[in-house]
Amino acid sequence: MSELTISRRGLLAGSALLLASTALPAIGFAQTPKKGGRLVLAADSEPRNLNPAIVASNGVFFISSKIVETLAEASFDGKDGLQPRLALSWEGAADGLSVTFKLRDGVKWHDGKPFTSADVAFSALQIWKPLQNLGRTVFKDLEAVDTPDELTAVFTFAEPTPFQLIRNALPALSSVVPKHVYENGKIEDNPANNAPVGTGPFKFAEYKAGQYYRLTRNDAYWGKDEPYLDEIVYQVLPDRTSAAAALEAEEIQLAAFSAVPLADLDRISKVPGLKVITKGYEGLTYQLVVEINHRRKELADLKVRQAIAHAIDKDFVVKTIFLGYAATATGPVPKNDPQFYTADVPTYPFDVAKANALLDEAGYKRADDGKRFALKLLPAPYFNETKQFGDYLRQALAAIGIDAQIVNNDSAAHIKAVYTDHAFDLAVGPPVFRGDPAISTTILVQSGIPDGVPFSNQGGYKNAELDAIIVKASETLDTAARTELYKEFQKNVAADLPLINVAEWSFISVARDTVGNIANNPRWAVSNWADTYLES
Amino acid sequence: MTRALTILRRRLVGSVFVLLIVVIGSFLLLEAAPGDAVDAYIVSTGGDAGMIELLRHRWGLDQSELTRLANYLWALLHLDLGQSVTFSRPIRDVILERLPTTLILMGSATALSFGLGSALGIYAGARPGSFRDRFLSIGSLALYAVPGFWLGLVLIVVFAVDLRWLPIGGIETIASGKTGFSRATDIAIHLVLPVSALGFIYLALYLRMMRAGMAEAWRQDFVLAARARGLPRRRVVLAHVARNALLPLVTMLGLQSAQMLGGSVVIESVFAVPGLGRLAQEAVAGRDTPLLLGIILISAVLVILINLLVDLAYAVLDPRVGAGEASA
Amino acid sequence: MKRLRRFLHTPEAIAGAFILALLLVMALTAPLFFPGDPQAIAGPALLPPFQDWSLPLGTDRLGRDVLAELFHGARTSLAVGLAAAAAALLIGAVVGTLAGFAGGLVDEALMRITDAFQTVPSFLLALAFVSIIGPSLGVVVAAIALSAWTGPARVARAEVLSIRERDCVAGARVIGMHPLEIAFREVLPNALPPVLALSSVIVAAAILTEAALSFLGLGDPNRVTWGGMIAEGRAVLRTAPLLSIVPGVALMLTVLGVYLAGEGVVESTAVRRSLS
Repeated sequence: MSELTISRRGLLAGSALLLASTALPAIGFAQTPKKGGRLVLAADSEPRNLNPAIVASNGVFFISSKIVETLAEASFDGKDGLQPRLALSWEGAADGLSVTFKLRDGVKWHDGKPFTSADVAFSALQIWKPLQNLGRTVFKDLEAVDTPDELTAVFTFAEPTPFQLIRNALPALSSVVPKHVYENGKIEDNPANNAPVGTGPFKFAEYKAGQYYRLTRNDAYWGKDEPYLDEIVYQVLPDRTSAAAALEAEEIQLAAFSAVPLADLDRISKVPGLKVITKGYEGLTYQLVVEINHRRKELADLKVRQAIAHAIDKDFVVKTIFLGYAATATGPVPKNDPQFYTADVPTYPFDVAKANALLDEAGYKRADDGKRFALKLLPAPYFNETKQFGDYLRQALAAIGIDAQIVNNDSAAHIKAVYTDHAFDLAVGPPVFRGDPAISTTILVQSGIPDGVPFSNQGGYKNAELDAIIVKASETLDTAARTELYKEFQKNVAADLPLINVAEWSFISVARDTVGNIANNPRWAVSNWADTYLES
Repeated sequence: MTRALTILRRRLVGSVFVLLIVVIGSFLLLEAAPGDAVDAYIVSTGGDAGMIELLRHRWGLDQSELTRLANYLWALLHLDLGQSVTFSRPIRDVILERLPTTLILMGSATALSFGLGSALGIYAGARPGSFRDRFLSIGSLALYAVPGFWLGLVLIVVFAVDLRWLPIGGIETIASGKTGFSRATDIAIHLVLPVSALGFIYLALYLRMMRAGMAEAWRQDFVLAARARGLPRRRVVLAHVARNALLPLVTMLGLQSAQMLGGSVVIESVFAVPGLGRLAQEAVAGRDTPLLLGIILISAVLVILINLLVDLAYAVLDPRVGAGEASA
Repeated sequence: MKRLRRFLHTPEAIAGAFILALLLVMALTAPLFFPGDPQAIAGPALLPPFQDWSLPLGTDRLGRDVLAELFHGARTSLAVGLAAAAAALLIGAVVGTLAGFAGGLVDEALMRITDAFQTVPSFLLALAFVSIIGPSLGVVVAAIALSAWTGPARVARAEVLSIRERDCVAGARVIGMHPLEIAFREVLPNALPPVLALSSVIVAAAILTEAALSFLGLGDPNRVTWGGMIAEGRAVLRTAPLLSIVPGVALMLTVLGVYLAGEGVVESTAVRRSLS
């Protein structure tokens, strides 16, 4: 299961609160957790490389976050939205050139060796910076990690790096792996990538390809009394209709990441013994965007882009495709982001007449057959919803005289067609918002990115003003000033429409009533589950 | 015996050519694919240009197509199937892990469709044109006309979710630690639904072939003679009519083996059975060229072997078949 | 007329012919009854059948008219089946005739290629082919034809082998016709009937293969096909079962109809042959 193929659907906290409130009483904050038991849950694809320090993606975290821990985890009520894990505190220097981490004492690796600052230094310098898909950006200026003692790690940067960015990156990018396991031989070929060793509440036990992953309790875990579960088993269910059946047949107790189709949720919420949970994904927001190839002369015209934006009924998309488990989008930062979001941007209400007028104005009159021009539309195949939105967009465009032909590709071919060959006019993509624009949305707008970089601006869009804002924000150390720059960024993107943001969604979990302590942090599905328990 | 040897020798020589065509053809087809293993991998991770270049180099995808084909064939000569890029393990191991599952699934489904199909075919063909003949032949056709995945989904809803008689999927109870007989029973229980879904579809083929063969046989002289001699009908049906109609079914068995392998792609996906079919689908999605080549090669070898066995069985069963004819 | 009566001599053949006629009417009248794009959004999503008489069979996940999709789906399903069968028969007949007529090395080479195609599981081949070239109706048809031509090729070759020694062929040789001309003008037409007898099997298999490809997400998204409808409906199999049952039954009846009618044709020609 990859970050994208993790597959389907979700909600945004806002629009789904109603549903959440019906499920919340069952989540069971009141009960005292019970020890023991095996939690069986659905996994819909199988990541081979389970090292989260190299592959920072939700598909890998889903399994490995229970084994390998990060320095800090996201939190609903902690300071800056964080709670300590392997680090107890983090402090950024005013000049942006260093960050100091104080580490947790008495932590042991699964093989019994002690966890020290040397492990953090090794992970950061040898893995996050050179090898990690996201760390290559955030830690590009990381020069050294000093370890004055076993429990202190001081990161020093060659160029000023905003502390806000480092902080926002901690939950996803800071998985610490043991130096003594990785220091000999090539890191990419280390067997521990397939059988990870960490400090987490669960140890990797076995992986049977095509069948399951099994994790067992780490008896030497640092958390008091934790973990509660004896075992976690991820049962591989490749067909997306089987998770619901497996839940009903009581073969699994949990299906996270919307493994149960949205259209089935209404029915399944009425099955006795099952609960639908919409919380716990606030930190994992996916954005539904229309990517635009600005090399097409019609699409290079702002009026045409505005017309397309007006032609899309965002409410219909949220209501019919996401069945309410999503929110309409206004711009490149999702509404539920607590730090950067601004509603003060130009908007494009659903208005077919206006869209038609704009196209007439732009000089693209309807021909005798009612069509203005034809387009190639490539919906990303990773999610059901992106494909359905593709079907919808084709109809929405037909209403304004644009004849869109859908090109259906599998994942590999889609990536190649859009991001390397640029063989598209419009594409539907689901980029992930990672809590900070510097490591998510800006890459879809920024110019000068080489061909072939996936999930980036490959539409040939170039806007000097926007580029300048992005560069300035990446160097601005002051949190308030940096946030302000990103608000300006949102305004400009909404005005010039390098891409069209349609909706924002995250995921749904369905669980048996007996599973306790679900969804108690904003990245719950990819957190360590030390406090999750099973009532018998 | 010498006849069997002749069949064997001719077959083996021909098979080498066939396998070579299969390998080169598949390789060229896969090379024509847009997107390579790195594109497929990057879907789940994202990454910058440097990382992508790094991966292409590590997986040897920056070499020319001819070099890779030559390398592949050279390694194949040493019976080395190469390394899977998505599993980062030797392909032989990956395939051997899945092969038994697929063999059990296919074997049981073939046994079901062949056994039940020919039995029902005899039952139907015993009285050509009767109600039961028409009912069985149309009923089995209707089953044949149902898409396999849909039949599978309905079986799951009815027998696993509503009735809870059988598990919804998988090959055995996960991490159960069962061994020996109890494990075998466990696997058998898990296989009931996928085997039914796969087997019932092909049931019609054997049933209809059997009854068509029997209808033909009823008209033949030796059957007419047997009836004229006043042999009991049951005996005529089994010893003369059915026996004669059985031989073409054996040929069908060989021909169908390739189809079954294909059909199992969908069934394995619906029932979460970790077999070769699903592996093939993953290999296509992951653009794991050497893995898919390995799978195609192994299934081709499998099909050739099955057909060889069928031919040998045929030669033993029916003395009229000459060696030359069987190998054509 | 006589031939038709002979064709309709069994209830099965009558049923088959009736189903096919119905299908043909559906396919031909689809643009009349349901003009415009059948994939257009026509009403609220997941409307149950028999609620709104302008949408008698209700709507699907996006609010598209299921009845309109069913009618237009008949067109594509039929087109896919017929086109794939035609292509497979054509390739098969040409390859088989060449192999059988030329003999020697050409025969050997062509038959080994046929073997190679028969050795690879046909669905696997279609799956790889479509996912590599990208799913459009033409590619799906090509993929199915590619995996179905071997049967016709073998039958054609066997027929040609028996025909090529006949008098008419010898006669053509004597008057100095070009061998290729003999092969395709004298031999092929005679070898064709048993090859054509395979067409019903291929049409049926093609319709089912298209459905299975759609199930794996490899259908043409710009066209409605029954297979695609079932594949899309299965996500709501429990909530709105009719969405996959309706096209499923249509698909089943079609395949059944094609089979029964095909058998009727084969039987009636067999009767004719045995009579003559």
